[in-house]
Amino acid sequence: MIDFVLPSLGADMDQAKLNSWLVKPGDTVHKGQIIAEVETDKAVLEVECWDEGVVEELVLSPGPTRLPVGTVLAHIRLLEGAEPPPKQKEPEQALAPPPIPPPAPHAAPTPPIRHLAHEIGVDLARVSGTGPDGEITREDVRLAATALLGREQRVKASPFARRLADELGVDLADVHAGGPEGLVTAKDVQALGAGRHAATPPHTAVEPPEPEGKAATMRRAIARSMAHSKREIPHYYLASHIDLDRALRWLTAQNEERPITERILPAAMLLKATALALRETPDLNGHWVDGGFTPSEAVHLGVAISLREGGLVAPAIHDADRLDLAEMMTSLTDLVKRARSWRLRSSEMSDPTITVTNLGERGVETAFPVIIPPQVAIVGFGRIVDMPVAIEGQAAVHPVVHATLAGDHRVTDGHRGGLFLDALDRLLQEPESL
Amino acid sequence: MNNEQARQTIFRVLGEIAPEVEPSTVDDSSDLTEQLDLDSMDYLNWMLGINEATGIDIPQREVSRFLTIDGAVEYLVSHSQ
Repeated sequence: MIDFVLPSLGADMDQAKLNSWLVKPGDTVHKGQIIAEVETDKAVLEVECWDEGVVEELVLSPGPTRLPVGTVLAHIRLLEGAEPPPKQKEPEQALAPPPIPPPAPHAAPTPPIRHLAHEIGVDLARVSGTGPDGEITREDVRLAATALLGREQRVKASPFARRLADELGVDLADVHAGGPEGLVTAKDVQALGAGRHAATPPHTAVEPPEPEGKAATMRRAIARSMAHSKREIPHYYLASHIDLDRALRWLTAQNEERPITERILPAAMLLKATALALRETPDLNGHWVDGGFTPSEAVHLGVAISLREGGLVAPAIHDADRLDLAEMMTSLTDLVKRARSWRLRSSEMSDPTITVTNLGERGVETAFPVIIPPQVAIVGFGRIVDMPVAIEGQAAVHPVVHATLAGDHRVTDGHRGGLFLDALDRLLQEPESL
Repeated sequence: MNNEQARQTIFRVLGEIAPEVEPSTVDDSSDLTEQLDLDSMDYLNWMLGINEATGIDIPQREVSRFLTIDGAVEYLVSHSQ
């Protein structure tokens, strides 16, 4: 039996509401099957199951409560012969509140950990760290949050009461149940919430009321992620003009032969060249986790997609370096379509290893993008413009794109970044090999 | 297909790409991508939708005719049976 938990949902997306189940107890599930729908501040995500088995129990019901990443959502009995996934940590070890201060000296929580704990309402003084020197890791905070949530979920409460408790910051376990059969009602929550407000000293900071709507919640999520990035990541920026004359001539010739349904956009070509260039500079491709860089063997290329109603998402095209151009175009078309209709999958949001933003589509000549944590680099493409270039001493006018790279100085320096832009340029001069 | 039928198809498909667009506010003779903030994917999807609705192919060399509503209407009317 294994726990099916709310998976990681991307940068600074530590919580989601469970919108619906697509399976029921007794159903057989297979690897990659979408079994639930959750909603973050940014999108409705389809959550995949990565095990083969039978749904034993749906632990939580859909509802408005925001669940932290790592929350146990269901129990799945693995099919015979199926290997259980390796456990990273024993939850009991991480969850046990220390009865006395731990004897071993431990490192103070880092700012990102304090930020995460604040975001999901965990008191760090009650969390024991399992990292080096007793350092509290993100996983420790999430496990502690799951324990807190488990306590809250056992309380019987109406959906409205849960939503209200969420808004007022009231722990349902603290509310006196005034409803039938021990049910906590909205009135009970309001009574406790009102008492707390009356007791709030005037100097205590009060959270401003949150604006309504998807656009507003998305803006908050972007603000959190970007503020985190600008605060924590020492960015460096590089830029190169890349001559696209050969590449666009080749692509136009290819497209002349294709029906409109198989047409390839220059954006797909830029993505493919980026994915291949990353093979040569793998230290730009991966994540900064718990104070160190973890490179990724796979290139899961995040694509920044702006939404017509405002805001943007950056889901991944998986194994982008292994796709041919036609496959890249199909993946890009599918991803943009689903992003704009708010139908993305949790794995697409959680595992980009680097992101590409193509602001040239909006007329911008040069983009200076901000790294999306925990990634360590982001690539920007500006508008393709006709510019004078020198070819063997002769002036000519060619289509040129301004490619930029923002890198994380904790992992790489400008020299490595420069090698990436050189590789990108070289690859785009040989479009037939993309 | 006459002009009116072509216009209806064009705006119906456009509504799927950019639902907020009010047809009466669109200038039929100026660049659609700039007017409606369409990126290359929106633009391609719009032409794909028109192709699907009408069965009329839009070869690469004719794509520029779809930069305006007038150009698109003219192309569809002249290529319909």
